[in-house]
Amino acid sequence: MSIELRGITKIFGDFTALRDVNITVPTGELVALLGPSGSGKTTLLRIIAGLETPEHGEVLFDGKEATHRSASDRRVGFVFQHYALFRHMSVFDNVAFGLRVKPRQERLPEPAITDKVHELLRLVQMERLAARYPSQLSGGQRQRVALARALAVAPKILLLDEPFGALDAQVRQELRRWLRRLHDEIGITSVFVTHDQDEALEVADQVVVMHDGQVEQVGTPEEVYEHPATPFVYHFLGNVNLFHGRVDGDKVDLGEFSMQLPTGEALDTAQAVGYARPHLLEIELQSTGTPQFKATVRHINAAGPVVKVELATESGSLLHAEMSPDRYRQLQLRKGMPVFVSVKEMKMFNAPQNMLGGGI
Amino acid sequence: MSALRLTEPRFVRWGLIAVAMAYLGLFLLVPLAAVFFKALEKGVGVYWAAISDPVALAAVRLTLTTAAIAVPLNVLFGLASSWAIAKFEFRGKRILMTLIDLPFSVSPVISGMIFVLLFGAHGLLGPWLIAHGVKIIFAVPGIVLATIFVTFPFVARELIPLMEAQGSEEEEAAITLGAGGWQTFWRVTLPNVKWGLLYGVILCNARAMGEFGAVSVVSGHIRGMTNTLPLHVEILYNEYQFSAAFAVASLLCLLALVTLAAKSFIERKLHVRKEAA
Repeated sequence: MSIELRGITKIFGDFTALRDVNITVPTGELVALLGPSGSGKTTLLRIIAGLETPEHGEVLFDGKEATHRSASDRRVGFVFQHYALFRHMSVFDNVAFGLRVKPRQERLPEPAITDKVHELLRLVQMERLAARYPSQLSGGQRQRVALARALAVAPKILLLDEPFGALDAQVRQELRRWLRRLHDEIGITSVFVTHDQDEALEVADQVVVMHDGQVEQVGTPEEVYEHPATPFVYHFLGNVNLFHGRVDGDKVDLGEFSMQLPTGEALDTAQAVGYARPHLLEIELQSTGTPQFKATVRHINAAGPVVKVELATESGSLLHAEMSPDRYRQLQLRKGMPVFVSVKEMKMFNAPQNMLGGGI
Repeated sequence: MSALRLTEPRFVRWGLIAVAMAYLGLFLLVPLAAVFFKALEKGVGVYWAAISDPVALAAVRLTLTTAAIAVPLNVLFGLASSWAIAKFEFRGKRILMTLIDLPFSVSPVISGMIFVLLFGAHGLLGPWLIAHGVKIIFAVPGIVLATIFVTFPFVARELIPLMEAQGSEEEEAAITLGAGGWQTFWRVTLPNVKWGLLYGVILCNARAMGEFGAVSVVSGHIRGMTNTLPLHVEILYNEYQFSAAFAVASLLCLLALVTLAAKSFIERKLHVRKEAA
């Protein structure tokens, strides 16, 4: 089932949680709503589920109006951040709940319910623990029970609120891959909320980046990572270096060096901010004639497949560069070494009024 | 730091325990024993006569009737108000909570007086009630009203913190799974608060049966008609029928003991659940 949100606005008192949000989730896709806390992503998820009503806008399921349908007959599976398992019921009864509250004429006979619940518990690998109570389970186990419970009513849409937020790093990694496999297996339209960019980029087909109650960018993980549409997306998805400067014709003056404006960049103010990911900073030991600036190596982290180097410019601001171990060995970098830095590629934006962060 | 160094010297520990026990004994156990001792002082015959006296039985009946009306009503009120306070945000929530506590902060005698001023012969609604032949003050309705007023915080007070701590996520989960309002209430909300609710009911019931001040003001002390157990005890005592007074009082003490036992049982249940959660 596809989901379409049109012009959704949600206001709590004098706080606008969502402002004119438009999103389309095609049938069978796994979409991540990514954003910092307070960006409105959970509110949006709750609106899809019918747990909140928007002030303006429409929710459509398969093109049909669903804004005013109650949460109990939208048949949307919802997995809560803190699982919200029924604490007085066993794992089995939790999963069976949705099947048992159906109206009499739709309800399966109890033996059929038992079979169905065991089938679901097998799917989430929780069959052996069917008699346990939620308080006797680990976080990862509770999460899987919550998922089985949501899937029991055969929803056409699955919504997950920070599904891995409360788990430790290792379980998180496992569960997120498992969720991806599960999604590919059952092919249900799914939306999950996360503030973890790695999670969104790894698991989702499409990522919706949200900020201050608005959608900043929608795209595949590759698109939003490689081609961020706004400074916010740049900041939010991975490390980034900032360069403050002035635009002068087709050149930009960044204080310690100036470079050609990338083609196709049109800026309407003189003040500009350049963004470059750490792997786009090139370190040389000698000047090569290309636009470069001087810096000093402050710190090196050579553990792992990528070597991370922290640099201090002459004006004292810090930059982050990344390189392959091969390149690192070739340069023989040491702490305190003076180097020349060039920027292979930079994305320019108009300088916002209140820019956070350092840079040149 | 070792656990031993945190421990007080032995004589301090024993001293504290002794003081606590002595205090408890002096102010609780001795009077309790005295009630039963006095009640049985003149033999089982007198004791039996006192509690099987028709007037005493009428008092027992009235006390039970009053509790049977007041407790269920306050359970309904308590559930509704704590549900509203714990699960919704609305204007005047603080005021509602303060109002629920009102009977705790007002002297029971004043609570009784409120009803006399409202429904008494010279009260606000008195003339209208008399004209329509409705009797509230110095009759059973007044006793029930006063009892409800005095006992209404017990259930609500017990449930509000419990429901607030539990939040409404489980209810939301039930709704997204297709449950309706009643199904959610009976299958999720009520089972989650049942021990807290029972605890509130027991406290409410104990107070409803034992209330003296407010009921005394509105009752009129008509023998066999508007006397509850506590009022009957007072009358007997004022008439120097000490053994009979203590015999009836021992019934109330038994109620208190049963209440205590039930309360500690439920407290243990609540504790276990809290640890499990």
